[in-house]
Formats: sequence, structure tokens, C-alpha cells
Amino acid sequence: MSRNFIDGNEIRITVKDKIFCDVEFFTGEKFENLEPRRLFPVSGLSEYITFLDENGEEQFIVRKLDNMEPLQKELLLGCLEEYYRIPKITRLISRSEKHKIWLWNVETDRGNYTFEIINHIQSMKMFYDKRILIKDGNDNRYEIPNIYELDKRSQKLILPDM
Amino acid sequence: MIPKDLLINKPASEKIVAIAEEQFKGKEKPLFAVVGDLAVDSRYGEGAVYVTDNRIVAVGDGFDDGFISLDFTNIAEISVKRMYGNAVLKAKTTGGSTLDLMRFTFAVADMCDAVADFITKVNEGETVENRFAAVEVTFRNLRSFCPKCGRKLASPTSECLNCKGKKKMVSTLYRYIKPYMGKLIFCIFLSIITTGAALVPPYVTSMMVDNIIPNRDKRMLVIIILFLLGVYFAQYAIGALRSYILRVAGDGIIADLKKEIYAKAQYLPMKFYDKTSTGSVINRVNSDTTVLQQFMLRITQEAVVQLFMMIGIIIIMLSMNWRLTLLSLIPVPVVVVCSRFFGKKIGPLYRRIWRRGVAISSILADTIPGIRIVKSFSKEEKTIKKFSYHIDDWMAEDKKVAKVAAIFPAAITFLITCGSVIIWFVGGKMVIDTPDKLSLGVLVSFISYTSMFYTPVNFFANLSDSYQNALASTEKVMDIINAEPEHDFGKGSEMGVMQGRIEFRNVNFSFDRSKKVLNDINFVIEPGDVVGIVGTTGSGKSTLINLLMRFYDDYEGEIFVDGVNIRDIDMSYYRSQIGYVQQEPMMFRDTIFNNIAYSLPGAHPEQVLNAADIANAHGFISRLPDAYDTMLGERGVGLSGGEKQRLSIARAVLKNPGILIFDEATSAVDSETEKLIQDAINRLIRGRTTLMIAHRLSTLRKANKIIVVDKGNIIEFGSPEKLMALKGKYYKLIQIQSMSEQVAAEKAAENFE
Repeated sequence: MSRNFIDGNEIRITVKDKIFCDVEFFTGEKFENLEPRRLFPVSGLSEYITFLDENGEEQFIVRKLDNMEPLQKELLLGCLEEYYRIPKITRLISRSEKHKIWLWNVETDRGNYTFEIINHIQSMKMFYDKRILIKDGNDNRYEIPNIYELDKRSQKLILPDM
Repeated sequence: MIPKDLLINKPASEKIVAIAEEQFKGKEKPLFAVVGDLAVDSRYGEGAVYVTDNRIVAVGDGFDDGFISLDFTNIAEISVKRMYGNAVLKAKTTGGSTLDLMRFTFAVADMCDAVADFITKVNEGETVENRFAAVEVTFRNLRSFCPKCGRKLASPTSECLNCKGKKKMVSTLYRYIKPYMGKLIFCIFLSIITTGAALVPPYVTSMMVDNIIPNRDKRMLVIIILFLLGVYFAQYAIGALRSYILRVAGDGIIADLKKEIYAKAQYLPMKFYDKTSTGSVINRVNSDTTVLQQFMLRITQEAVVQLFMMIGIIIIMLSMNWRLTLLSLIPVPVVVVCSRFFGKKIGPLYRRIWRRGVAISSILADTIPGIRIVKSFSKEEKTIKKFSYHIDDWMAEDKKVAKVAAIFPAAITFLITCGSVIIWFVGGKMVIDTPDKLSLGVLVSFISYTSMFYTPVNFFANLSDSYQNALASTEKVMDIINAEPEHDFGKGSEMGVMQGRIEFRNVNFSFDRSKKVLNDINFVIEPGDVVGIVGTTGSGKSTLINLLMRFYDDYEGEIFVDGVNIRDIDMSYYRSQIGYVQQEPMMFRDTIFNNIAYSLPGAHPEQVLNAADIANAHGFISRLPDAYDTMLGERGVGLSGGEKQRLSIARAVLKNPGILIFDEATSAVDSETEKLIQDAINRLIRGRTTLMIAHRLSTLRKANKIIVVDKGNIIEFGSPEKLMALKGKYYKLIQIQSMSEQVAAEKAAENFE
């Protein structure tokens, strides 16, 4: 089965319920209640966005968001932001470890939070030598977009484990 | 009113409690509540839902009055919408509107599932008491915290890993040293002798320089030389004996450690292996244990020897000249401070090196066994590049360690040399100015002791290096040793011969909290039933089997076999009663005979032959030059897929299990082989409860019941005739396969013509 790849400027979306949207093609074709999802939620945040219907069936894939009308792009990104909640860690306030269970108290762009990491090796991954993704004991995700932009103390605490 | 003993996951804030109390002013009491951890705008915040027997009250900033109340009768549908890193409890009203009742992270997602299930089932007519009991179980499982430290436990009955292993590294490792304590103490005793012997020659030197040589006493010279020879002989002979005993003890320690890690690894749950690479486990068994052994020997032997030597030298030096002794101690505090600094610096570097070592092992573990795939895709160059990248990465880290590790000992040695130079200067002056107070012989002897003194100082200064290295390895080894093992082997009951009645009751399961894999599974299979499990790829068929096999025990709900909860049955006994034939049968590097007899060690040859015969394997085995003695390569190299599958069935035959499970056993073989396997299966399943996962529905001809799984739910269950009459998913699947088989047959016929 061939996938229906389209460009961002071929559609017009209307956000319905935070993560759902109606989509209209310039040809007049309409889809209701579609759920946009990233096909590369880790490596390509604004590329290859798939649109699923209520049964989880893919209707089409938007290759890139770059050529979308700015307002449309903003709406779609807002939709995706609602779905993909990955707080960005801006500071590691404190970190303690007791027998392989790490307790992180962090400052994020969505407020302060404390979480546990069961295994540092498996739960933290560094990309492109600066971006770090973290998964806590409850499978929640966090991101450090650039470890070298954090304060020195946070860097000193995190980098030895990377 | 809100009862004080309300079933709740964590205390709610005063603001939320105040609003909730307003709602429950009268006699009405909530049965349970869930406090969330996100605000509606997805920032960290708080919301809560309170559930009674007929309504749900959601409290939070997102609602106009701070709350919303919905009667169960007004709810058409309630569910948890899992997103990425967060989820929403959504309710669809009978009026058609959709409401977000609470937003939360996955930390509370399972509890909100319980809320949704409770309301759905009560609306469907189940009793509140029954459903509330299910909610209580969920809460109990998820609220299992250590009473001592407050951390979450892996399961309600498990020990707290946090509190369990608080002992220091050395004391944790003590139990591995304990069996060899006798040998190690004897070695320490031998060390004291050799250390004492090592202290003799410098003392003799002063006698030679001050008395024997100036007095030209040849007789005394011969005596002293013979004495020295004797001392040296004793020192090295005892040293050799000590080395031998130490090696034996060291091997024992490492063997015990490796055995225990390997044994523990066998009992670790599948979840551990889902998340840990094979390379990482191999690295821990091989390299890390060696690091630990070396460290343990350093601590129990070298440290003791060096300590004795240091004390002995200080005593001798003080007896010779206390002023010079104090002078020689000047560099010691500097050395100690440097050592602490060094330890802090190099510790994290070792952790980073370990991480890179694991990456290298993982590539090896992936690519060497998968060399056929690498070659078939001509990816040798890419594999080499990837390996080189990781090796270079490891080298870059090791370079950093090498830098620190090279500078530090050099700096220490320089400091020590400075100490010796000071002694030469001050001592030399004393010999020149006041020869009656310090003779040349004593000075030479003193200098010898000084250089000897710095050996233990240097040792203790460098100990932090190996300590940090060992600490990194200990963490990894303890990660396995302290990991939560599979559910209690040998602790449950044994039930005699298994009849094979299987019941799934309200079973929910997810590998992680971001996605539910099985949702509210309920079915009963009677003894002797042959049940086909069908569904699209990823629908949850194999997970159903994984739960029945107890590969994963942390599901919600209950599974019964012959009326007994499988969690209460002894794991080893339970699995011995189930025959499991996988899609990709695993063969070991051993003979065909031993591979079949794997399921029944000590099986009589005729039992094995009979099992192979039933499995349609005897024919091809007997044609092999070495027949049953044929040695298989790793993972059964040398046999075709169908042949391996038949050996795997022979294994199951030999086991004579009460329940049989076939997980797509014929999916990877040709039609002719499929027939051979199918014949074998038909012979094997007689009178046994059998579960068969199959993509080719034609393999389910013997099935008297069919389970259709779709997106983690059972959507159809019953006899094939009943499901065909239903004209649902099963009917569609049969139609599609019949059509494709017909097309394939027509094409084959065309080709033949």
C-alpha cells in the first residue's frame, strides 16, 4: 500500500479538541477528527507528521511543516505540543542516589518537578553530543535541548553519566 | 463528607480538599479519589477526581467553578486518552459533548484507568462492590511504598532496593570474600613475614657501612651476607607460596561472583531484558567481575601488607632519628589531599568509559551473531564504521583518564622525591656537622627506609583510582544482583496433574505506562479445548501468551489455571506443565539428542526417539551422518527452519505438558514442511488444552474455539462456526485468506502449465 505523502501547503486545518483537527485539502476533500502524530518524535519534530482517523488509520503524511502558512503551522504545532508533552529541563536543582534509584529535582519550562530514574544507563540518552532525553520510572519523558547551555553545576552533575 | 480513610493515591492540596468538601457536605461519601499532577495547560499542577457510587466530581483550575460533577447516568463513555508523556481522563456525555476531567502524567495513569473502568462497568450493570474491589487492588499495587524511605517498590511484596543495599561497597562484597577468609588470613600472615624480611636489609646496610666495612671484619661480613641470603630466600619463597594461594582464592571469588550473577540473570524477569542489552549483561559477567576481584584482593591483601610495612618503617625510622622521620612525613598530607582530588576527578571518567564499553559490547553482541544479515545486506563497511566510531569514542574517553592517571602518579612521585632530597640535605648536613649524632651508615639506611616508606603512601594514594574503577563496576554488577527477580520460585503451590482450564479475569497489561497492550481481557478455556488466537500483527496475541507463561507478572487482574491463581503456583512447576513452541525455535550449541532432552533432563533414549518420531523429526535426524549425536552450531546452525521447528515440537512432546502453546509455529516454513509440522502438532495436542497463535488460519482446522484479538481487546470469542455466522472480524479474515490462497493456487497452476 502506498502512503499518501503531501506537502504542508496542500491542506488547511481547524483544531477541534486540542489534539484533534479537521483537515481540508485544496481540492476540497475533507477529513474530520484527525489526530496528527509525529513519525519521528525524537529526531524530526517538524517532519513527517502523520494524520490518523478515529480508528487509528493513517490518512496522509505531511512531509514538512516548513512550507505551511505560518498560522496553519502554529495551529498544527499547538496540536502536537498538546499531544507530546516533554518538559524541557532548564536546571537540575538537586540529585540524590540511593542504591541505583536516582531522585531528580528539576526546574523545567513547565514548573518544578521531582521524579525518579530507576536506571541511569537505560533511561538517559545523549544525541548529537548535546541533546539529552530522559525517561523516568513512570515512563514520562524529559528533554535537555543542549546540556552545555545549562548552568555549570547541572552540567557537572549530568555529564559524568553520559 | 470525605472520609478520613478515603482511598486516594496521595494527599490533595488544601484548595482541592476545600472544593471537594463543599461537594460532599451531606451524607454522600466518595469511594475513592485520584490526585493528578498536571494542570489543564500541561504545566505541573494539581487536579483531582472524586468518585462515589453514582457520580464523579472533577476538581481543578480548568473548570469555571473549580469543579465539575457528572452523574454516571449522564456519561456515555469515559476513558483515558494516553498521549506522549501525559494523558487525559475524558468523558463523553449522553448529550454528545466531550469533557477533559483531569490531565496527568503517567505516574497516575493506571489509577485513572481504574476510574474509567469503574464507571464503565457500573454503568454496564456490575455491582459497585465488585468494581470497587478491583479499584482497591489497583491502588494497592500502585501505592506500594517503602515504609522506611518512602520510595516506590517494584511490587507490593518486594523488598525496597533503596534500603536493602545501603551497606558500603566493601561490606557488600564481603560475602564473596568470606568463604576464602581462611586462605586470605593465612596470606596476610605470610605477608607479615615477607614485610618483616623486607625491612631487614636496610638495617643491615647501616651495620655494614658503620661497623663491618670500616673495621675490615671479614668473618662478620660472611655471616651477614649469609644471613641476607637467607632473608631474601625466605622473602621470595614465602612470597611465591602466597601468590599461589592468593591466585586460588582470587579465582574462587571471581568464580562465585560470576556464578551468582549468571544465576541471578536466569531469574530476572523479561522486563529486565526488554530494557537491558545483551552486551551490557555479558560485560557485567566478564569484565566487571574481574575488576571487582582485583579490587577485593587489593583491599584484603595489598592494603594490609602496605599498612604493616608503613607502620614497621615508621617505627624503625623513629628509632633511628625522630627529627628526620618528621621531615620525611612532610609530603604525606599533600599526597593525601591530591589523592582525594584525583578520586573525584577520575570517578566520573570511569563511569563514562564503562558506558562506552557497553556500547562496544552491544555492537559485538548484535553483529557477530547476526553476521549473515550483515553480509546479506553488504553492510560490512557500515558495521565497521559504526564499531570504529564507538571505539574512537571509547578511546577519547580513555585518553582523558590516561591524562589524569598519568599526571597524578608523576606528581606524587615528584613530591616523594622532594622528601628524599630534603632528607639527603638535612641528614647529610647532620653527618658532616655532628657525626656523633648521625652516622653515615644510619643516614644511608634511613634513606632506604624513606624510599620504602613512600611505597605504601603511594599505594594508598593510588587506591582511590582502583576504588573508583571498582565502584563503577560494582554499580553495574549490583544492578543485576539487586534487581527484582521473577516471582518467587519454589514458594508457591504445586497442583498435581494440570487439567488445563484457563481463565483470564479483568486482565489489563502494558509494557510501559505510555500504551496499554491488553485491555480488560476476560475468557474461559475448558480442559482439552483447542483454541486459535487470531488477530492482526501487534494486536496483543503474543502478549496474551506471555502473560499465561508468566513472562510478565505485573499485569492487573487475575489469571487462573484449574481455578488457581497462577501467581500462587510455584513458577518452576507451573512452567514445567506448559509446552511452548515458538515461531523461531531456539537451539543450543549441543547435540540434537541433548537439544530435545533439554525439556526432560535424564530422559531415556527411547523417550527422545519417540518424541522425535511424534514430531516428524526422526526421519531427517536418522538420515544425518551423526544422527542424534549431530552437533548443532550456535542457535541451531546446520538445520533448516522446519527441522528446528520439529525439534522444538519434540521437546514439547517429551515434556508431556498439560497445556500446549504454539506461537506461530508454522509461519516461517513452506507448505510441505508446514504439513509435516501440522501432522506433528495434531498428534501432540490430543487431549491437551492447546492455544495456537496463527496467521495462516488454515492451521487452525482443529480449533474448537477462536479468540479474535484487536488492539488489545478481545472482540470475538466462540466456536469457528459461531464466529463465521457472526460475520465479524474472523469471518473477514477467513474471506481475505481464502481469496489470497485461491489467487496463489491459480498462479501456481499457471506457472505449472
